[in-house]
Amino acid sequence: MHVVVATDGSVQSLDAARQLKAFADPAKVDDVTVVAVISPLAAVPFVNDLGPAVSGVRDPGSLSFRQEAHDATSAVMAEFEGWGAAVHRHLRSGSPAAEIVRAAVELDADLVVVASGGQGLTETVLLGSTAQRVQHSAPCPVLVARPKRAPR
Amino acid sequence: MSELPAAAGVAEAPAGELKRSITGRLLFFYVLGDVLGSGVYVLIGAVAGAVGGAFWIAFAAGVALATITGLAYAELATKYPQAAGAALYVGKAFKNPALTFFITICALSAVFAASGSLATGFARYFGSLVPVVPALVVTLLFVLALTIVNFIGITESVVANMVMTFVEVAGLVIVVIIGIVHLSRGDADPGVLAEFSTGGASPIFAIVAGVALAFFAMTGFENAANVAEETVDPSRTFPRALIGGMVAAGVIYVLVAMSAALVVPVQTLAEAPAALLTVVEAGVLPVPVSVMTVLFALIAMTAITNTTLVSVVTQSRILYGMAREDVVPRVFARVHPTRRSPHVALGFSAVVVALLLVVGSVVDVGDVDLVERLAAVTVVFLLFIYALVIVSALKLRREPAGPDAYRANTPLLYLGIVGNAVLLTYVVVDDPASLFWVAGLLAVGVALYLVQRLRGGRRPAAAGRE
Repeated sequence: MHVVVATDGSVQSLDAARQLKAFADPAKVDDVTVVAVISPLAAVPFVNDLGPAVSGVRDPGSLSFRQEAHDATSAVMAEFEGWGAAVHRHLRSGSPAAEIVRAAVELDADLVVVASGGQGLTETVLLGSTAQRVQHSAPCPVLVARPKRAPR
Repeated sequence: MSELPAAAGVAEAPAGELKRSITGRLLFFYVLGDVLGSGVYVLIGAVAGAVGGAFWIAFAAGVALATITGLAYAELATKYPQAAGAALYVGKAFKNPALTFFITICALSAVFAASGSLATGFARYFGSLVPVVPALVVTLLFVLALTIVNFIGITESVVANMVMTFVEVAGLVIVVIIGIVHLSRGDADPGVLAEFSTGGASPIFAIVAGVALAFFAMTGFENAANVAEETVDPSRTFPRALIGGMVAAGVIYVLVAMSAALVVPVQTLAEAPAALLTVVEAGVLPVPVSVMTVLFALIAMTAITNTTLVSVVTQSRILYGMAREDVVPRVFARVHPTRRSPHVALGFSAVVVALLLVVGSVVDVGDVDLVERLAAVTVVFLLFIYALVIVSALKLRREPAGPDAYRANTPLLYLGIVGNAVLLTYVVVDDPASLFWVAGLLAVGVALYLVQRLRGGRRPAAAGRE
């Protein structure tokens, strides 16, 4: 089967990839494609929180959001190294939920893995998260990884 | 519109790894929408007052000069497609970190001032519908609302952007139709289009004064550099879409200016708080004036909102970029864990714009109104930036470019430098008080830099070394 793992550069998305690994049988997964979506019109089109904190971009103004997305997918792809499945990278741009669904359709995915970091008001009341929108229109099952709640 | 979603998947990069989403058509509408919202709805009355009935010439000249600058942007954006703009180009051309820092601060200040001016313009149209709410309250709520919208991330919707652009164009088409109907009925005096209200001085001065204001109407095109990295086939698409969008906006402006001058006396235009509304209120079309007024005010507010949204995006992106370079405190690079938007930068920008608006409404001197003052401040910054960007384009000709990189016409670029410099001189001489605002905004940037230095960050000198 072909699994699409989405990353928005957040730590939660890396956790989602780990959760897939925690229960999925590597013998049954032929391909893993790590998808990142850049939103060109957003205030910050892509942020990579994975990997070492780079202090200071060398060349002023040379910040490349595409590079950020590339680095984020690399970090997630590294998780699957030696796991068994063939690992691919897929960068898209546009609206995250729509593009993740489109990638799943194009790649004929059997499972989409997304993280849902939201617990707050904005997620539930205002718009819904990317994860919600993906599971609403994905062409296949969706694994939504939720953040662990702090014990009370 | 139905084929839009498909456009995202069209550009098949090697191995299907890369997909860019900004097609030429989307970029064209992005530029058009961004440019159209900024000036004509807000400033047309001021330009008319400065020039007289022939104020369409000021728009034509302003558009021409801006488009020349657009050529330089097109050349540089296809050569260095990272989503950066002026700071990157000047940095590459001069390799002088202090200058790069200064340009970045100028760009940031320009969008701050532009947001303030646009918010005030929004409040004028809003006030024509709901007169009871104080303008300052409207502007502050407007800025707050746009900041929240950006935080949530609605601006990432390319489709919404196109819809807003269509609405903006529709509003201006209404104005042009009114002008055509008025003219065809024989009610208009075409002679007004050649009149100058200069009070005896040379028409040249009147035009320069008008161009300086009309120039604000073209601002926003440089934001196209924001999305250069995500443009499909940029070396071919980008120049066409950018210049095409600017020329289309220019043609619309000139037609709207002519139409407004034909329908409404210039004096009325100059004195009205929301000038284009007076054209609609003239009652030329066989539609109830009250309906048209409400409709048009809504369209105008949509247009202004669209452009202000982009400037709010640009502000936070510049701050984010500077924080990533450790030039301003790192906290501005912080993004919200789930919404992935730079909430600190967004919040700070909103506070600065709000301060501008509060200061403007409390202390401002009597004779120049806040919209014009902040527009002039924006134009001062932008003319300086634009001139330097053109110089950078010429300087960077020595650097190798890709085989099919776009190359602007050289004599035109020289003309652009002269034009920007002349206008800059005029604006500063004409309204020296705007320099206080310029200094105030620059002080914000310098303060951020000093905070970063005191907290042990790097100088831009170190950050700028390649």
